[in-house]
Formats: sequence, structure tokens, C-alpha cells
Amino acid sequence: MNTLLAVIIGAVTVYLAYTLYARRIDRHVIQSDPKRATPATLYMDGVDFMPTNRNILFGYHFKSIAAAGPIVGAIVAASLWGWLPAIIWLVLGVSFIGWASDYSAIVISVRNEGNSLSAIAHRLVSPRARTILFIFIFFYLLLVAGAFVGIMATVLESQPRTQLGVIVLTVMGLLLGQMLYRWRMGLVGATVLTVGVTMLAILGGAWTEEIFKSLNTGLNNLAGGAPIVTYFDPTLANFKGADAKIMPSLLFWALAICAFCYAGSVLPIWRMAQPVVYVGFWLTATAMVLGLVGAAAASFVKPEVAQFVIPAFKGFNPQLGPAGIMPLWPMLFVTIACGAISGWHALFGAVGTARQIENEADMLPVGGGSMLTEFLLGLLALLAVSVGAKGAPVGAFATGLGGFISVWGVPIQYATSLAFAAFIVIVLVVTQLLFRVQRVTLSEWLGDVIPPVRNQHVASLVSIALAILLVLTGTWVYLWQLFGGANQLMAALSLLLVTVWLSSVGKNWLYAGLPAVFMYVTTLASLLVTAYNIYVNVYQPNMAAGRVIPVIGSGLMVLVALLLVAAAVIIGIDGWRAFQRYRHRPVQQPRPAAVRV
Amino acid sequence: MADEAAPKKKKGGFLSVFKDIVYGMSSHEMTRHAVRTRASMEHLFILITMGDLLGIPILPPYYSLRLLPYVTPQIASWKRRMLRERDVTDVLG
Repeated sequence: MNTLLAVIIGAVTVYLAYTLYARRIDRHVIQSDPKRATPATLYMDGVDFMPTNRNILFGYHFKSIAAAGPIVGAIVAASLWGWLPAIIWLVLGVSFIGWASDYSAIVISVRNEGNSLSAIAHRLVSPRARTILFIFIFFYLLLVAGAFVGIMATVLESQPRTQLGVIVLTVMGLLLGQMLYRWRMGLVGATVLTVGVTMLAILGGAWTEEIFKSLNTGLNNLAGGAPIVTYFDPTLANFKGADAKIMPSLLFWALAICAFCYAGSVLPIWRMAQPVVYVGFWLTATAMVLGLVGAAAASFVKPEVAQFVIPAFKGFNPQLGPAGIMPLWPMLFVTIACGAISGWHALFGAVGTARQIENEADMLPVGGGSMLTEFLLGLLALLAVSVGAKGAPVGAFATGLGGFISVWGVPIQYATSLAFAAFIVIVLVVTQLLFRVQRVTLSEWLGDVIPPVRNQHVASLVSIALAILLVLTGTWVYLWQLFGGANQLMAALSLLLVTVWLSSVGKNWLYAGLPAVFMYVTTLASLLVTAYNIYVNVYQPNMAAGRVIPVIGSGLMVLVALLLVAAAVIIGIDGWRAFQRYRHRPVQQPRPAAVRV
Repeated sequence: MADEAAPKKKKGGFLSVFKDIVYGMSSHEMTRHAVRTRASMEHLFILITMGDLLGIPILPPYYSLRLLPYVTPQIASWKRRMLRERDVTDVLG
């Protein structure tokens, strides 16, 4: 297998899924009508509801959904099961489930006056479905924040040449906010300056490598070289399990990331969060475009970086751990989340994108098209890790992507630095936004019961403390799979809601219903498997060794997994009842929507 | 309104589409935040003239009379925004 063939498979998948399946559903089931007025035009307020050009909206939706998920998921799955199951799930997942989930979330919102999924669940399923969905969202955000902080801290600590780039990115983000909003400078000049300086810092990371190495050593010497936390990690030593140590330097970088996210969460959004995302976008877009085109061209230009070096298939249950299980079904289907299907996309599509849809004919290219494009991003990550050198998954990804970028004549060490930086920047900018959303969710959820939580600083610190606790627990792979389970379960619930809605308006619900059932069963099973793995492989050994922090953290993870299962079961029962109700007695067709003149 | 709502067919070739997509990826979110900030300011603006809108003078009438012409066109969209049901997931958009 080589990268050219994989890119061709990806392109053919996108073409066939879009033209043969998605368009058919759009035409014959949803019956999108370009003459039908959308909420953006009916309720235009110039802010949230605003008709927007489909190309702009495609870019906006794609950028909002394409975060670290498709990259990290593909990296982890390829290292656990090999590249073949990963590519099969990516292709089948996006073709039959992924685009349908993204597209349908936009459709259901557009056809329901631009309401969010939770508001529609309240109306169509049951009032408690909405409350449960809020709780669900909080834990989902907590898991993804913990998973992202954990992987970033590990990469930053182990790759000192990337640290300068991240620091300069932060400074340039702050500077850009000042230049645009205070000094009123032009966007193009400010962009060239800030992105250029950040790029130089990334490429020049080798100059400060020794300084940051010394910093890490100095931090560790402060504690006399002793770890802060020692825990049993079942995924170490080729899944035989070994003691892992969290050194002060790792905690330092985890706290530095949290400080960054805290600032992004509480400062005015124009001051930091938004400009950092903007600068980060140009860096990652550069790396990804160069990488994807380079992957296709590598077979001709530089064949040595285009050959897959990891095994195609490692078995159905290859990584047992000391006592756990890691079956391909259901775990692969939650390990690779966003490149195949994602609940985040549905959540965002319903409230962010649907309210800007100018024309019903735009729903498919924006929703389905963005998801199919994100699949290509997941595929690129899979290719990068498949051709990368052996070693830690993120390192293999950076080496592989660096190889693709080097096709353009960039020296390999600079290309690899850019790939590492692109990975960190993608994860970092998403994490700071996550903490911002988590802070608001926490305030809304618990603000009435615990008034101090309404304070933005308290809510931010609580969110960060919980995420750090998960990081200190270790066993990042399980944390990622727990996040994947929550994310995919959110997608299943979104598809369930779409199924109920289709049933309520007397339309054929199979295209959403069958994926909903598959994802619902798969994700519930995966959450139970992960809870079992954490309990047996992490909780019990650490409990036996009397290690308090890992026990609390892993106990929290098991609790979250069981809470998610309970919440999903309740919503599932309510959804099934609502489905049966509407199936036998569809609600009256809504009155005809206003027509454009 | 109907004319404004009518779909506009934007002409342009590949370059125009590319520019729109890049704008959507890089800057559309910033534009939305700027518009949101302006809308928040307008809410405050409407709030301080609310008394006069209801017939209860709070500000000295001279200032209210000067302000009302600027406020009145915003009332329709302001009502839509204020009366719309919201929940936590709105933060994501």
C-alpha cells in the first residue's frame, strides 16, 4: 500500500458517497426546496440568524468541525489495530453515517425554526431529554479537555523544539488582537506579520531546544528527580503494563496549557481566543494542504516517504493489557471519531451553521460536504502515521506528515517541526475554546444550585482542575476512548432525534435510523468496555498499591462512563417511545413554510 | 424583506469560490463575534431609551428624542433576539 492509492480511495469515496447516496437522500427523502424560506431569512436578526453564502458557510462549518479529533483518532487506531481496519471504518463510516449525521442535524434545525438539538429533543422526545443532554454535554467536554491536555502536555514535554513555537503563537495571538481591535490595523498586514513570525519561531525551534531541555531538567531537579505521581499504566511496555511517572516537567507543561486555556476562557474573546485561533488556522492549513497534496505526489517524487511501514492488521483483540480487553468492535468505532462521524458536528451544525443557511439547497454541500472533507483530514492523519517511523503515535504522525511536506523541498527536520507544531496548535486552539464552553455549561447547569459557580473564574478553575485530575490519572488511551464513546454517543442521539423527527413528519427514516441503532449499541458497548478496562487495569492495581490520585482519577472516569451510559439509556427509552408514538400517529404536517418571492 | 431574502446567485469562478471558502475558514467567525458585540451594545442602547419607548421618561426628553431615531430601526431585530429561546448549546454557535 502506498499513499497515492490511499488518496485515490479517499477521493473516490467522497465522490461516490456524495453523488450516489447523499444527493439521493437530499432529493427524495428530505426534499430540500430552494424556494422554501429558511430560518436565516425568516428570522434574520443580523447576528445569529443571518443568510450566508454557501461557500463561506462551507469554510466556516468545516473549520469549526475539523479539530484534533480526526487526527488523533486515526493515529491511535492505526497504532492499536493497524491501518486496514482504520481505513475501512473511515470509508464506510463517512459514507453511510458521518455525512448523514452532519447533514441531518442542519436539516432538522432548519426545518424546526433554527432550534438547537436540545430544544427539539424537549419538544419531540421528552422534557427530561433536554436536561439529560446538558449533563451529557458537560461530561463530554470534560473528557475531551482531559484527553487533549494530556496529549499536549506529553508532546510539549518530550519535544522541546516545539515549545518556542507555542509560546510565540500565544504572544502573536495577543498582538494580533491588539493590532486589529485597538490599533485598527489592516487584516492583511497584521496577518502577514503575526503568522510569519510564528512560522519562523516554529521552524527555528531547534535554536532553543537546549534551553527548554535545561528547563525541563531544572524543574525535575527541584523535586530531586522524584516523580510527583506514580501510577500503574496498563498500556505501557507493549500493553503488558508498567509503572508510569509524572515528572514535575510534565505537570509544568500541563499547567502552562491550562493557564493558556484559562486566559482564553476568561479574557474577552477578541483579546486572545479568537486571534490565536486565527493565527493557528493559517499554520495548520498550510501544513495540512502541503501534506495532503504531498501525500499524493510522494509516490512519484519521493517514494521512500510514501510506503506504509506499520502492519495492515494487528488482530481483532490485539492489545489486551494485563487483564483488560480491546476488541475491534466496538472500540475501533469510538477510537476513530471525527473522521467518520462525530456528535460535536451535530451539536455545532444545529446552532451555528443551520441559522445561517440561506437556501435549503445549501444544506447538503455545507453539512455533508464539510464532513466528507473532514474525512480526508482523518485519512491524511492515517497516512502520516502509517508511513511514519515506529515509536509514539504522535511522533510517528509528525514524522510521516513531515515526510509529505518535505516533498515540496522543505528540509525534513523543518518539515517535521512544522508537522509537530500543526498538531499542537490544532489541539491547543480547540482546548481553549472547550474550556470556554465548559465554563458556560457549568454555570448554566449548576449556577442556581451553587451560586459561586456563576463566577467565570470559579467555573473555569473547576473545569481545569477536573481536567488535570484526569491527566494525572494517566492511561491516556482509555481516556481518549472514553471521550470517543461520549462523542459518538452524542452523534447516535442526534441521529435518534432525526429519526424521531422524520417519523413525526411521515418521511422515510431508515437512512438515519439504521446508523442511529448501530452507533447507539456500539457506543454503549464501548463505554462499558472502557469502564471495565479502567476499573480492572487502572483502578484496582493502583488501589492495591495505595496510590490516591490515580485511584480518584480512574474512579472518576469509571463514574463518568456509567453516568453517560445511564443518561443514554434514559434518552434512548424516551426516544423509542416518541418514535413509536409518531410512527403510528404522525403529527400533522407543519403549515407550508413561507416561500421566497 | 422578500427581496432581501431572495437567494443571490453570486457570479465568479474558481478564484471567487476559493476566496469565499478561505474567508469562511479564517475570518467569518471573527466577523460574527464583531457583529455580536455590536448587537450587545445596541441592546444596552435600547435599554437606556426603553422608558421613552414605553412613555415613561427616564433620560431627559431632549436626549431621548435625539436617540430614538437611531433606536427605532433596531427594535424588530432586538425583539427577535430578546424573545428567542436559548440554551447552553447556543454558546457553540
